Amino acid sequence: MTALLEAKGLKKTYRMGKVLVPALQGITFDVAEGEFVAVFGPSGSGKSTLLHVLGGLDKPDEGEVSVDGISFSTLNDNALAEVRLRKIGFVFQFFNLLPRLTAVRNVELPLTLADLSEKESIKKAEDMLKLVGLEDRMNHRPSEMSGGEQQRIAIARALINDPKIVLADEPTGNLDTTTGGEIIQLMKRLNKEQGQTFVVVTHDPAIAETVDRILYLKDGTIQKVEKGRRRL
Amino acid sequence: MRLKRIFSIAWESMRQRKLRAFLTTLGVVIGITAIIGLASLGEGFRVSITERMEQGFELDVLTVIPGSLFAGYRYERFNDTHVENISRIANVSVVTPVMQIGSVTLYNGEKKVTAFVAAAVNFTEFQQVFSDRFEFKDGAMPDPVENDTLIIGYKVNYPNETETAFALPGEKVNMTVNLLKYPFNVNYSFTVAGTLQKGGTAGLTNFDYWVFMPLYTAREIYETNLVDLIFVKVRDPEFSETVADEIEALFPPYQITVLAPITFIQQVDLILGMVQIFLTAIASISLLVAGIGIMNIMTVSVMERTREIGILKAIGAKSRTVLTMFLAESLLIGLVGSLVGVPTGYGLAHVLSYIIARFGTFQPDWLRNPELESATITPVFSWLWVIVAVIFGISICILFGLYPARKAAKLDPVEALRYE
Repeated sequence: MTALLEAKGLKKTYRMGKVLVPALQGITFDVAEGEFVAVFGPSGSGKSTLLHVLGGLDKPDEGEVSVDGISFSTLNDNALAEVRLRKIGFVFQFFNLLPRLTAVRNVELPLTLADLSEKESIKKAEDMLKLVGLEDRMNHRPSEMSGGEQQRIAIARALINDPKIVLADEPTGNLDTTTGGEIIQLMKRLNKEQGQTFVVVTHDPAIAETVDRILYLKDGTIQKVEKGRRRL
Repeated sequence: MRLKRIFSIAWESMRQRKLRAFLTTLGVVIGITAIIGLASLGEGFRVSITERMEQGFELDVLTVIPGSLFAGYRYERFNDTHVENISRIANVSVVTPVMQIGSVTLYNGEKKVTAFVAAAVNFTEFQQVFSDRFEFKDGAMPDPVENDTLIIGYKVNYPNETETAFALPGEKVNMTVNLLKYPFNVNYSFTVAGTLQKGGTAGLTNFDYWVFMPLYTAREIYETNLVDLIFVKVRDPEFSETVADEIEALFPPYQITVLAPITFIQQVDLILGMVQIFLTAIASISLLVAGIGIMNIMTVSVMERTREIGILKAIGAKSRTVLTMFLAESLLIGLVGSLVGVPTGYGLAHVLSYIIARFGTFQPDWLRNPELESATITPVFSWLWVIVAVIFGISICILFGLYPARKAAKLDPVEALRYE
């Protein structure tokens, strides 16, 4: 199996006032196509920073990330935006939907950015909302929907451009256990049925148990790697 | 991202903050209204003054008088050679000499009137020079002109504007000269040919108080060929200045003065143009204020939407796209503001012009000429200004929107996503 995502020796230090906070201290791992990987760790272990670096939102001080054979270190900001648009889908803890747009408009936003015609992108967005089970909520705004529904929209948005990999940052962190479970089930289903690659950052053991592989992160380093039980 | 979508998103974003968008746009509307209003009213003012001056002065007629205002009055009269030399200058169409006799009194039986100027002219040439003004109320130009032909100005024949004329065409009148500039005691008898139309307009050549006799008659009476002034008509007002220069070159310095009305009008027009630019510049300040208002609102808006910008960047929006989205909002504000401001500006100009015509007076009573209709200023509409104002309005909005838009475009996505 060829590696879809490769991370090599990632280091990143933040400066907070006069204090240097080491967030990543040399992280190396691969993710294969179709794999469902969880990055598990307590808060402050550098999970979110790792995800931002993997998604090209943030640049590492040292080390190298490549997705689908494209190495980020050679790309400028515009090219990185293009990679985020075409190759990567993001799902966030706080959903990060645009509050002024309806569900279908939120989902079609990446297609709009990719210059698709309005008609085409709305059609695709509607299909995607059906896939995540929200066909009757298409024209609602985020404020009119529950957290679980909002996260489904966020997943639909992450998937709309047919990305190589979806990076999820605590996707269940803001949801109750039942709803969180449903979201995990949805991602698992997409992984199984569509072969969608996922990297999920979480401190929720419930997620960690269901994946192919778990990376335990602590103090900016990978402590251990375990095979998950992978059950639905 | 397609531009059309960017604009529809910008439009949608403005619709969702209606009051804010309205107030921001109002600033631009006021700015453009002020600019268009003052510019069109100013131009109307300029046109009305220029028209008024053109009515008073024939722009294609130069008046050559002896002496100079600055070097003192050295009275030298003109002879036929002078007239001949002037008529050889290029672009001169008619040259006519005039002998001034000064104030005269006319008698018709019991009736008597005073004319302030009696001029001896060549009727044919004179009529060519003042073709607009030398028109008859009653009577007609005699053909051929007799030695004793007399043409009377309106105010001379109708001193109190009563309908009874001092003399009717064909009647004989006697003349005596009041100011004995060339002392002689005429008791010369003239036959009235007719009365001129009322001139009414102010200017160098209002013939209302004049009477005209043939030049050769005056030359016979005075036994001289010298004349007091020369009217020169040029082919087009644009030649006035060059012809005036060439006439001056025919004489020793300061011996004569050439009055070219177009130079007055050019100066007045220049001054009015400067006043207009000045007013418009003041009006433009209000547009600048509006621009700062836009910058202020957009900066707040960028801060409010920091998270939104972070999301857009995370899902793959380029900096340029974010920049364009914010600039599109500024541009829409500018466009809507200008398009509303232009008609409002012209409306304002018309309201002001009505108020001026209805209540305003430019002149104190002692200066006002009762024969002139009251002052009106018609605002001037110009597509050029519409285009310039709209472009100016939009440019100001884009210029002031640029700073907040760049700020938005430069946001670091990770920082922006963390922003609460």
